[in-house]
Order: sequence, then structure tokens, then C-alpha cells
Amino acid sequence: MNVFVTGMGALTSLGLSCEATFQALLEGRSGVRAYSEWAEYNGLHSRLGAPVADYDVMKIPRQVRRSMSRMSEMGALATFQALAQADLTPGANLNSPRTLLIMGSTSGSPCTFETYFKKLFEKHGPEGQLSTSFFKVMNHSVAANVAAAIGYDGALLAPSSACATSTQALILGWEMIRAGLYDVVIAGGADELHYTSTAVFDIVQAASRGYNDRPDQASRPFDEKRDGLVVSEGAGVLILESEAHMNARGARPLARIAGGTYQCDGAHMTQSSSETMMGVIREALKRGGLSAKDVDYVNAHATSTVHGDAEEAKAIAGVFGDDVPVSSLKGHLGHSLAACGAIEAIVSIQMMRDSVLVPTRNLERVADDCKGPRLIQANTPVQAKTVLSNNFAFGGINTSLLLSSPN
Amino acid sequence: MTPTADVIDQVNNLMRSGFEIPGEKLVPTATLAGDLGLDSLDAVDMLVYIEETLGVKLEGERLATVKTLQDVYLLAAESVHHSKANA
Repeated sequence: MNVFVTGMGALTSLGLSCEATFQALLEGRSGVRAYSEWAEYNGLHSRLGAPVADYDVMKIPRQVRRSMSRMSEMGALATFQALAQADLTPGANLNSPRTLLIMGSTSGSPCTFETYFKKLFEKHGPEGQLSTSFFKVMNHSVAANVAAAIGYDGALLAPSSACATSTQALILGWEMIRAGLYDVVIAGGADELHYTSTAVFDIVQAASRGYNDRPDQASRPFDEKRDGLVVSEGAGVLILESEAHMNARGARPLARIAGGTYQCDGAHMTQSSSETMMGVIREALKRGGLSAKDVDYVNAHATSTVHGDAEEAKAIAGVFGDDVPVSSLKGHLGHSLAACGAIEAIVSIQMMRDSVLVPTRNLERVADDCKGPRLIQANTPVQAKTVLSNNFAFGGINTSLLLSSPN
Repeated sequence: MTPTADVIDQVNNLMRSGFEIPGEKLVPTATLAGDLGLDSLDAVDMLVYIEETLGVKLEGERLATVKTLQDVYLLAAESVHHSKANA
């Protein structure tokens, strides 16, 4: 059974819609800015982030919004966009018993965790806590809040695997529709920027420290002068639909989910390996009935870390050689953690639709340990029919997703 | 006890800022649930806002008796009075 994408929505550090984000990517813009105020946090060396610009929260009714942190707000707004493009409305033409909502985040809201515990310690107890605080920090906060925002009452799952979260959601959605369990899946992820998220990477020396005074140059996947990632935020949501359901209502496909898989390496929390990355790429191809020769572009996870980029470059070259164009979007967007997989899938679809590949921003000189794959450094006209998008997460969670043009 | 204009102003302000209720709806006879659209979660948060704004302590059990905005003004006024008496 074929599974198609019929709607997409995104809020990113480069725009409040899929279209605005893609245009900014084509223009080579950076979403990264300096957070000099983070100097007050002892032990935090990386003072960079890629925030989403102000958005209109009033589009979300107060009674729903009151239990939302920033990540849920962005998740809801991205879902509004995706449902609008797909022309689906819960309660009207979206049949909840045959629909699944899968949306996750790395954790509950880090911004709310900070205010909650700050007050808890000050008051030596829960005195003065708002009733809605917990609904912002529970692990399924984004999924539950998005469901409330769109008036959805069907099946709901909230996967959480850090940077692989939304790719897992997409692949799981593909599997569920293929299994015949659902006609429509609303899949995605969201995360919000907070200094503690940057600190997670800073502590293990995986966050950029050397570009605090040059933020737009900080995230530089595969480059010889890369020194770590920049945490971003945002939300990405895609509507997946069975071919039969899509055809029955005359909807227009944007892309087809052509394969994918998620595996763990069961070895190390942070040290990903090219062997297990190659394993997940090959398994994704196998599950899609495809070979490496069928892939026209690889959207790398490459976050600009010294170790991860080198391992992924080795893995991609190991599967695809030096023939297939490869780039990472983290140089422009930063790393939006649970949102990045869905956002990168959306941009990959836009690249296929517009027949142009976005290069890796700040990739000026390919590092010796990243040589092997064909790393593109400029907008590249290519009529890609099938693309592979990687996302890898702490905990050794590896994902590869295959997307094809619908025809 | 008659609520002072200051207490009424402060309660109305937190109703506007905390719950986005338009000023014209803030009349003493307005019911919290029906006219102002506040539910049980909002009621809990309303007490927190009143405590923070007026610097008083409120008993959560009193919520059961609070039905209208006038009841909120009275509760807030009583709390301010008790707070001053105990100071």
C-alpha cells in the first residue's frame, strides 16, 4: 500500500512556514544568533542558538494555549498549516477512528521545568504552582496539546527519541498505514530552545564554542573548522495518507514515503558509528525495495560535531560512494532536536518539487575526515526523484527515511 | 465587607492579563464559569494570581463558594483584611 504526504507545516529558525523556510534556505541565510546573556550560566561555553521568530499565539484559543509551552504552540501552528494544505479538518472530513496522531519532543518543556523548579525550591514546596504547569512538562505534552488545539479525539502516540523523534514518528506512521490500521497519520515533532538543551551538548563538548562572536558561521557540518552544533527550535508536521484515502477524496500528493527504518546500536550513548549508520541506511533501502542507485540526494543529519559528521560521511560514502549529492541543513537552521527530522523531510520534499538541492551552509573546506561522499557547496539543480534523510540521536538511535516524488 | 476600588482594580487586571477576558465582561454579576468561561483549572490559577498580586494567602477550599466576580472581589478583600489583621 502506498503512503503519500498530502500536507506539511513548519516553524523554523528561518521562517514561520514551509515556504518562508525554503526561500531562506535557497538564499543561504542563517538562523543562528548569539546569546551573550548566557555568560551568566557557570560552565556553559556555547552561547549560540537559533530561535524561531515571534509568531501569533492568538491563533490558538486561550483555553488550549494555557497548557502549552513554546514547543506545543509551535507544534499546533505547524499542524494547522499541514491540515490546511491537506484540506483535512478533524470532526469534518478527518475520521478520528481511522487517524493516528504521532508527535513528540525530546522532553517536556525545558523552559517550564526551569520556572517550575525555581519556584519549587524557593517555596520549599508546590505552593504557588499554576495548575497547568505539569501539562507543559509531561512527556506527551506536544501531542496532547496539539490534539486539543485541533479538536482531535483519535489514537495518539508520543515517541521521544531526542533528535530522531520526528523521523521515528514519520516512519511509524508509514508502517501503521501500510499495515492497514489507519488511513491518515498526523506526524511530527517539536522542541523549544533553552540554555539547558545547549548545555547537554556543551557538557560532552559537542556544542560550538569557538564562534560565539560569529554566530552565522558557527554551525558548519563537514567543514574542517567545525567545532560543534548549535541548538535550534521549531516544529515540523506532515500529513501521511493512504493512496486509497487520498484518491477517494481527490487530494493532491506532495510526495510518497518510499521506505525507512529506525534502529538502535545498543552500544554507546553518544559515540555513533559509521557501521551502524550504514546498517540503518541499507535496511531503509531494503524495506523500500530500493537500491543505493535509486537515491538522487541524501539529506544528512550532520549537526557539525567533530565525531558525528565524520562517521556519517563515512557511512554515506560507504553506501552511495561519491556519486550522490549530499548536504546538511544544520548550517542554516541549527539543530532543532525532535523537530529536525520532520523539518528536513519537508525541505527534502520541497527540493524534489523545485528541482534544486540546498547545499550545506558554512561548508567552505571539506574536512579530511569527511571526505568521501559528494558534498555539495552551492544550490544545485537536480531533478531528484528519491531522497534519503538521516537522523541520529543520543542513545544510539539511528533513522533513515526515504521520500519519493509522487509520480 | 465591601471590596475597595483598589482590590477590584487588581482583580480585574489579573482577569484581563491572566485569562484574556475583555474589560467589558468584568462586571460583579458575571459568573466565572458561564459568563467568563473559566473552568476548574482556571479557578486554581486565579487563586495563585490573587495571592501573588495581593500578597495574601487564600484557602483553596473557599473556591467552592466562589461563583461570581463579586465573590472573587469579596474573597480578595477578606484576605487582604485578614492579612493586615495578622500583620
